[in-house]
Amino acid sequence: MLALIYFVVLAAIAVVAALGVLFSKHPLYGGLSLVLTMLSLAGIYGLIGSPFIGVVQIMVYAGAIMMLLVFVISVLNAAKDSKTPMFDGVSIFVVIAALALAGLVGFALVLSPMGFDVTTLRGSVEMTSKNLFDTSKTGPGYFVLFEVLGLLLLSSMGAAVLMAKKRLSSEVSEEDHKEDK
Amino acid sequence: MDIIESKTWVEWLITIAKFGFCFVPVLYILLLIPMERRGAGFMQDRQGPNRSYIKVPFFGKVRLFGYVQNMCDGTKLFFKEMFAPTGSKKFLYYVAPAIPFAIVFLSPCVIPWFGPLVFEWGGKVVRIAGPIVDSEVGILLLFGFSSLSAYGAVLAGLSSRSKYSYLGSLRTTAMTISYEVCQGLSMMGLLVLAGSFSLTDIVSWQENHVWGIVAQPVAFFCFLIATIAETGRAPFDVAEGEPELVAGYHTEYGAMQFGLFYMGEYSHICISSLLVATLFLGGYSVPFVTTETIQAHMGGSLAILCWVLAFLALAFLHMIYRYSRKLAASKQSNKMEILREYTLYKTIGWVAAAAFIAAGVCSWMFYNPQITMIDGVAVNTLGAALGTALIHLLVLLVKSVFFCWVWIWVRWTLPRFRYDHIMHLGWKIILNIAILNLVVTAVVAKLMGGN
Repeated sequence: MLALIYFVVLAAIAVVAALGVLFSKHPLYGGLSLVLTMLSLAGIYGLIGSPFIGVVQIMVYAGAIMMLLVFVISVLNAAKDSKTPMFDGVSIFVVIAALALAGLVGFALVLSPMGFDVTTLRGSVEMTSKNLFDTSKTGPGYFVLFEVLGLLLLSSMGAAVLMAKKRLSSEVSEEDHKEDK
Repeated sequence: MDIIESKTWVEWLITIAKFGFCFVPVLYILLLIPMERRGAGFMQDRQGPNRSYIKVPFFGKVRLFGYVQNMCDGTKLFFKEMFAPTGSKKFLYYVAPAIPFAIVFLSPCVIPWFGPLVFEWGGKVVRIAGPIVDSEVGILLLFGFSSLSAYGAVLAGLSSRSKYSYLGSLRTTAMTISYEVCQGLSMMGLLVLAGSFSLTDIVSWQENHVWGIVAQPVAFFCFLIATIAETGRAPFDVAEGEPELVAGYHTEYGAMQFGLFYMGEYSHICISSLLVATLFLGGYSVPFVTTETIQAHMGGSLAILCWVLAFLALAFLHMIYRYSRKLAASKQSNKMEILREYTLYKTIGWVAAAAFIAAGVCSWMFYNPQITMIDGVAVNTLGAALGTALIHLLVLLVKSVFFCWVWIWVRWTLPRFRYDHIMHLGWKIILNIAILNLVVTAVVAKLMGGN
């Protein structure tokens, strides 16, 4: 009963904040509403028995990624972004895709049995680690995917660094050229 | 509502009373501000602020070693006008100082203040965990909160429409993110050894094996540096560097809004020092003595605690008497006034010393609670359990106050680092050492047959 009340409150905050992401004029407010959505989602994760996932959501998404996003929003020209129209030609496709996704998720939710059971643990530290790193033959075999994902992220980070370095060095070389001239 | 009925009223009382620990960081502010100001004075061979006083009928002008100065400053901040610069984003501007201060109340929830209380009440064995929320992901929660508290600085910089604030907040963002990585990775070695994210488990591992500082000396220094950087104080205070950015992200703030940032910073120091003490200095555990020994000799342990406090009171008295002898021999014009003030401290010191010695003797002679064994677990009486909790709490507080002093010490010893030096230190030195430490720890732990 108590858990249900918490759930309703958190879900209401999450939905309102998500709407805030859609309808806020300034991208900074949109980013902050996204942080609020993520925090309340983390609360819901904790509520349904996955404290580990919830805490990782707070640490990684709300704490690090959204911080970077706010950083980017503030460094880029935010004043210009606030004048862009909310809907344009492209948003037709986006709206259709969003509606289709919502329909799919709703369909899946209606089909699945709705039980709000807070006593079972679904994503504790131990369960997550067992699921991810079970190297036995009978295990789910997620560890290969996990390692591949790690490699993918590492390579993308390396590529980003390389690209940034290239630009920096080219600027330097251009300046060198100017100095030479 | 069978959850409520399944617990006795004592259990409920202790569980609710534990929420009082949320206010510990706020109380630390009262301790830290005079400590910082007089400590800075001590470092720079000067007095520090000690002139404000309260007039007390018999003892004259009582200054409480400069403590009254902080009351004056607090009162001033409270009664100043709150304002926002034109063109600022009003909502964010007013919300920003509240964020770090609100998180201060959340963070102490996962720190284990004492070992688990096990006692018998009403024919049942009651077990109460040390932290307010005994979560299995305690330390991750703490890191999550600490990363959220940086939003206060970021929003303050973005909303106040000032170039200095803006630059300060950009620097804060970059520094927080980079040092969070170092902080997280440097303590991972200890987590590998303890095999748990729960702070209670980490402390009990240290109690049973060795302290974290012995097992992971490299990680300790990496963690300490990263944590000092995370609190954004000198030598890492580029976010509010006075010569460059006026005051950084809180340039445009005044009155209690500025006060909230200030208090948020000091509470962050408190939480960080509690965290360092918990992770690397054995948390609440008493050095060289196990909890079982303390509980077996409860009266003696309480007596030793009382006598340590009495010794401190006597040391304080010695200090006061030396000062007054020096003062009486000097030719200061206001020496009678100060001597009259010192009589107050002498009275308090003597009363406290006598009371502590008496309490120690009493508990030594008359307090010997019995321990019963139920299902192989030692079960105490309520009094013995609370006594253990008190000793544990005081030990933890002493350790954390020492680390608070380290914060002040570092701040007034080292000059400010340049911004690119800080980034270099974070990403190229500390991060690599932390990763190396983690790998070595994992390999050694595996070879030694750990988890």
